[in-house]
Amino acid sequence: MKAETTLTDIELPPTQQAKFIPDLRRDYFSTTGRSLVTLVCLALIAYLVWSFIDWALLRSVWAGTPEDCHKASGACWAVVTDRYRLILFGLYPYEEQWRSALACLAILATVVLSCIPLFWSARLLPIIWLAGYGTFYYLMKGGIFGLPIILETQWGGLALTTFVFSSTFVIGMPLAIILALLRRSKLPVISSLTALFIDGVRSLPLLSILFTAAIILPFALPDFLVGDKLYRVILGSALFFAVYQAEILRSGIQSLPAGQEEAAAALGLNYWQTISRIILPQAFRLALPPTINQVVIAFMETSLIVILGFFEVTASGNAAFTAGGWNSFFAEVYFFVALIYFTFTFSLSRYGAYLERSLKVSSR
Amino acid sequence: MKQPSTAVEVVNLRKFYGSHQVLFDVNLTVAGGEKIVICGPSGSGKSTLIRCLNKLEDHQSGTIRVLGTELNDEIDNINEVRREVGMVFQHFNLFPHLTVLENCVLAPMLVRKQDRKTAEARAMTYLERVKIPQKAGAYPGELSGGQQQRVAIARALCMKPEIMLFDEPTSALDPEMISEVLEVMTELAQDGMTMLCVTHEMGFARKVADRVVFMDKGSIVEEAPPSEFFDNPRHERSKAFLSQILGH
Ligand SMILES: Nc1ncnc2c1ncn2[C@@H]1O[C@H](COP(=O)(O)OP(=O)(O)OP(=O)(O)O)[C@@H](O)[C@H]1O
Ligand SMILES: [Mg+2]
Repeated sequence: MKAETTLTDIELPPTQQAKFIPDLRRDYFSTTGRSLVTLVCLALIAYLVWSFIDWALLRSVWAGTPEDCHKASGACWAVVTDRYRLILFGLYPYEEQWRSALACLAILATVVLSCIPLFWSARLLPIIWLAGYGTFYYLMKGGIFGLPIILETQWGGLALTTFVFSSTFVIGMPLAIILALLRRSKLPVISSLTALFIDGVRSLPLLSILFTAAIILPFALPDFLVGDKLYRVILGSALFFAVYQAEILRSGIQSLPAGQEEAAAALGLNYWQTISRIILPQAFRLALPPTINQVVIAFMETSLIVILGFFEVTASGNAAFTAGGWNSFFAEVYFFVALIYFTFTFSLSRYGAYLERSLKVSSR
Repeated sequence: MKQPSTAVEVVNLRKFYGSHQVLFDVNLTVAGGEKIVICGPSGSGKSTLIRCLNKLEDHQSGTIRVLGTELNDEIDNINEVRREVGMVFQHFNLFPHLTVLENCVLAPMLVRKQDRKTAEARAMTYLERVKIPQKAGAYPGELSGGQQQRVAIARALCMKPEIMLFDEPTSALDPEMISEVLEVMTELAQDGMTMLCVTHEMGFARKVADRVVFMDKGSIVEEAPPSEFFDNPRHERSKAFLSQILGH
């Protein structure tokens, strides 16, 4: 059906708002067969939407006990309203959960601030990150200002997910830049060793890297270097992000004309000035779509750490319905968790589209 | 400002790409304030020669002395030489992610450590000299080729260089834009800048050059004042080259 319509589309002048209705008529109702297919599809969509609304809104239960839910036939949002603190904060002690909420906000604020081009300088970004992570760490862990200490093993839910993700990004991105630059090094030993390293890590599945970081590394490292499992896993996931992102950046750098580096050199700029003012800003613009893609993937892959015993948001979702008689209402919990993921990844990709548009303006 | 009597001194310069030799014992001396036009057929090594003068290319033997500093592998800070030697490229090589003004103030601020205000004021005077101050806020992609090349000249001048190198600055331009760039270069020459220009604009060479250097197959074949070179070329290869570019 689509294939037929494209031919006629091409001959038409650019779409205008006023032509919407005639276009609609031409594209979907021009013949009896076409109208029939359109109507059947519409009916199907309407039916599905109605069923969902009926289940999710009309017949749903928003508060109460599992028994209330069993009596009704619709969605049981009561499980979410009853257990949302478990989903959001995991096993973090109940009375201290405000700390986890604030910490989460601190990380979100850090991420949002780092997304604003105004703050993209080698001086401001580290300050923002240090402040954001310092706030997060001391709020979560406690031990100062009379806050009781809460160990990393009790951290969980959304706070853990955002922490793991944003640390992966904040550690992984500079690492990716370093790897990409080392791989372009004029010294053959350095560039080929870096290439070997990047390709080596890229040929391992993320899961095996995370397992290595969580379980094998403690045997291989001296005790004082081991640290909490959480930080090892974050380093593993940052490494994984970095090798892919390094290749994305390298392809961006390689598509720059050689004249850019020459012009910078001819003006007397040194290596770091050339890299930070000329090469990287342009490479990032060129590599923006795949970079956003990689960041979204990294966010979704944080759910893998559940396998290593972390109580991130998917795991705490699981826990929310496996206790207290909510067993049969897993769909509602997963819906809620999916909504959280959707909110994050959708904002990320919208942000990517915004960046692409605003950067295109400045380099037409 | 130091103005040593010899701006550039090249002695027995040889340059190889791998095992392929592209410069054969080139000797050239340029006095401060002199204007040299370098011409010759494609592949004769003109670009290679002037790119050796700011070490965009390394040479394998011979000596190059620029403003009294010898360019060799032991040189500590090539950037100290480069900031005194401006370069204008065939394809402009403006930084597309920066505005015209930002292109002009970047190096003065980073390399000459000027504060933004001084650098911007100076950049505006140079943009006025190349007759394009109204485009200070535009991005290079929004300018015509001729305008971009004039900005590239202003960008190089903002560093207050002692020497300017031009590598075929007009050959990527549409004919109607060539004259606006040549005009700027002529004014620069009249102001006393030391210039080495690779160009086939013979009118410009006649008007501005103190000497024309003709290269072929990696060597300097003939070196003469423009009147002598154009009216009375001594070498067969110069004659052949001139009849080719002036013939049609
Ligand atoms: N990066 C390179 N690697 C290998 N050979 C090169 C390289 N650059 C130039 N050459 C060779 O060196 C020789 C001189 O080149 P050069 O660019 O200096 O010539 P040119 O006189 O500037 O020519 P044109 O008028 O076409 O710009 C040519 O034979 C060219 O093939
Ligand atoms: Mg050339």
